[in-house]
Amino acid sequence: MKSQYFAAPHLVGGLVVWAVWFVVLYSGLSVACEFAPPAPEAGAYTWVNYLMAGGGLLVSACLLYGAFHCFRALGAGESRSVDSPQRFVRLVAGGAYLASAAGVVALTLPVLLLPPCQ
Amino acid sequence: MTNRSGRQNEDPEAQMARVWGNLPGIGTLAAVNHTSVGLRFMATGILFFLVGGLLAMLMRTQLALPQQTIIDASLYNQLFTMHGTVMMFLFAIPVLEGAAMYLIPKMIGTRDLVFPRLSALGYYCYVFGGVIVLSSLVLEIAPDAGWFMYTPLSSSDYSPGPGSDFWLLGITFVEISAISAGVELVVSILRTRAHGMALNRMPIFCWYILAMALMIIFGFPPLILGSILLELERSAGMVFFDTAGGGDPLLWQHLFWLFGHPEVYIIFLPAAGIVSTLIPVFARRPLVGYHWIVLAIISMGFVSFGLWVHHMFAVGIPHLAQAFFSVASMLVALPTAIQIFAWLATLWMGRVVFSLPMLWITGFLVVFVCGGLTGVMLALVPFNWQVHDTHFVVAHLHYVLVGGMLFPLVAGFYYWLPHVSGKMPSYRRGRWGFWLFFGGFNLTFLLMHLTGLLGMPRRVYTYESGLGWDWLNLLSSVGGFVMAIGVAVIIVDLLLHFRFGEKASRNPWEADTLEWAMPMPVNAYNFLSMPEVSDRHPLWNQPEVADDIVTGRFGLAGAEHGRREVYLSDAINGRVSAVVRLPSNSWLPMLTAGALAFVCLGLLLKYYGVAVFASVVAFLLMLRWSWKNGAHPALSPRGECRTEPAPLHCETTDGPGLWGMVVALMADGTLYVSLVFGWFYLWTAAPEWAPPAAPPVSVRLLVASGLLLTVAWGCYRSGVSRLKTGNAKGVATRFSLAVGLAGAHWLVLVAAMLTGDLQPQSLAHDAVLLVVLIYLALHGGLVTVVTALQVVRMRYGYVGRELPYEPVVVQPLWVFSLGAFWLTLAAFFLAPQTWTVG
Repeated sequence: MKSQYFAAPHLVGGLVVWAVWFVVLYSGLSVACEFAPPAPEAGAYTWVNYLMAGGGLLVSACLLYGAFHCFRALGAGESRSVDSPQRFVRLVAGGAYLASAAGVVALTLPVLLLPPCQ
Repeated sequence: MTNRSGRQNEDPEAQMARVWGNLPGIGTLAAVNHTSVGLRFMATGILFFLVGGLLAMLMRTQLALPQQTIIDASLYNQLFTMHGTVMMFLFAIPVLEGAAMYLIPKMIGTRDLVFPRLSALGYYCYVFGGVIVLSSLVLEIAPDAGWFMYTPLSSSDYSPGPGSDFWLLGITFVEISAISAGVELVVSILRTRAHGMALNRMPIFCWYILAMALMIIFGFPPLILGSILLELERSAGMVFFDTAGGGDPLLWQHLFWLFGHPEVYIIFLPAAGIVSTLIPVFARRPLVGYHWIVLAIISMGFVSFGLWVHHMFAVGIPHLAQAFFSVASMLVALPTAIQIFAWLATLWMGRVVFSLPMLWITGFLVVFVCGGLTGVMLALVPFNWQVHDTHFVVAHLHYVLVGGMLFPLVAGFYYWLPHVSGKMPSYRRGRWGFWLFFGGFNLTFLLMHLTGLLGMPRRVYTYESGLGWDWLNLLSSVGGFVMAIGVAVIIVDLLLHFRFGEKASRNPWEADTLEWAMPMPVNAYNFLSMPEVSDRHPLWNQPEVADDIVTGRFGLAGAEHGRREVYLSDAINGRVSAVVRLPSNSWLPMLTAGALAFVCLGLLLKYYGVAVFASVVAFLLMLRWSWKNGAHPALSPRGECRTEPAPLHCETTDGPGLWGMVVALMADGTLYVSLVFGWFYLWTAAPEWAPPAAPPVSVRLLVASGLLLTVAWGCYRSGVSRLKTGNAKGVATRFSLAVGLAGAHWLVLVAAMLTGDLQPQSLAHDAVLLVVLIYLALHGGLVTVVTALQVVRMRYGYVGRELPYEPVVVQPLWVFSLGAFWLTLAAFFLAPQTWTVG
């Protein structure tokens, strides 16, 4: 986040990751159920659910790191000025990373409860 | 003293009015100015709203009592289809786009949108497309499969008449308009803000419009693709949605709702932008939580794309997949709630001045919150199943759309009315319209929730007596007519105010944004000199700015050279980086839209020769359009004496055209990705999907074609790199070589298609392949032609060492075409072979 141009994409970076995770969850589930459906009696305890839950944890951890990175940069360079665009971008981007991490957790939660292909 | 235009002692205001004004008489149709085009969008949208409202009244008349025969089933189907279509496609989006086109340049402190001819093209596509769609109603052959045109009901087996074709072709035509506006607004907001207007100083309305425009860019292409595929299925017999040939009708639902749900937010966001603009003005304090609201807007833009399957909960999708969309549907309530709490906090902490616009904002808060709550109810899968396809859903969507869009829109109309008329609206007269509309609306739709819960399905033209629905329907119909009277009162009030309204002073509402720094009614050029800002609320904290603009203290004051000029500024910090010369009045947008209308009519009437001829005419007109651009003498004559320290945009490598190209390619890319999605969807979900044993097109020919394109790209890239370093030697040769190689690529690609064994009328697999190959051929042909144009322009001196702009603009098209080609080869030809072998 050294240059302003590097910083601007972070405004949407976290939410792009959230969106990609959403697509991976939905399409991955469809593909898994088409080509290698787990046994229905296994309920929510299947390799598909474990994979999605693990992926969700990993992605949300990365997003939390993104938020930390943005908030830490608030004290550096031009961002110290309250009215600077850099500060604004980093603040909003940090919030977006945080919201995206929460969004990934929320999206992934149902895999702990529901069987994948029924 | 005589200036360059030959006019003696012309004062700067007269000079600007002459340069920026429309042509007289019929010449006004050649207007490209954002004020004229924006107002025309809104006026036309209101006319379509009245038509859509009339259709609703006819339906309510029929449903007022049980077993009525005023309207038969067939006509009723046409009415509800056209009501939804007109309101969504011909009223809601265009009128909000028009408002954005009108307001954005004024709010960001510039004189026009950055691609004015594109605005005008969008307007004419909208008008011609709208007239084509409505003509089907007059001819009694209107589409009747519902505004979301589900297959197979809309397919030729069940809708053999031309109604569905009118919808598919007409609406696609209208969507060109929406995408034009999307590109235009994104680039204008990011690159033409006033000097000093950094992202954190941007009016909140601009954030909303930026999000809306980007959502149009990503949201509309799936429907455009779906419409193209369905029309190809209906008219050419290709298989996409028919299970017998390996298609799947659910693919249509996915493509439609990939557009359809974001569409709701495309409509809501600008309206919420109006609310976020008006509330601080009438609360007399800055908006609480600007940062939070920006975050909510961006989040909403993304999350709204993750909800589309909640319209498909009843089609048999696995429970876990439904849960993903159910969670996303509930998540979207959070950014909405952030905004509502920020609005309430602003009102709570301010000193509210209650006026007519605020009355409508209050109505919005009440109605929209109710609609949002029933939305959360519908996000829950079990409840959704219970009320699926009942009047509960109809009531919910009207609470969201009318509450979330129409109430703020009317508030905005009253608020910005002095801009257009120079007169103030009257609270005394205006409140009648509000209360009639508000009362009628709630009488109609609040009760309709109950009608739905009692089991009345939507889209039935009549019902038996004694089911408990009689009194509810009667009162809903009465409410509908009260609402219609309210609309009539509002229109009369608006017309009367032009005659009887009090004269408005400058900034009559004591607002904070730059659009109120200009005299009223507004002029054609907005600002005599280009404002500079150092605060998010310039008219509150820099009140001298209005006078400084008028006295010409800032840059680009006057137009002695007779050309339309605006500043280009940095996307983040708003610092001026160049001067952009904008094109003036032009007939080309109207003529191009007219030619496209003939393409549409030719396809509708199955006069394919006419369609092909009109396509060629439209393409030639677009070439002419692109010729008068960049460093063309009409805009930027060489050697002209200039006083501005900033360079002209055609002397840089970072002009608005580059941004426009990238944003347009985002839409193009979304269409491509939707096609890839369709391919994989059919592959995994279509019950009768049947891929042939071997690829029906020669992969070797395709690889050869791709290699030619890759080498051509290398030549082009080398030429552009040289130009960027200020060296024009050998550039024309490289570009010519690129043209030759790209032409060869195109010929090999077409040969591969023609020599292949594609059976698109019997296999969905081959039909999708044919579409993607045509897509690649169109792009290959386009890069060949536009690069050839660059070679010619180099000979004319419009491109060269000091004018490197245009080849840089074309470069992303090359990258995109090359990327799409190799990705297609991998995803459509190589990967499936691996699976088949596996």
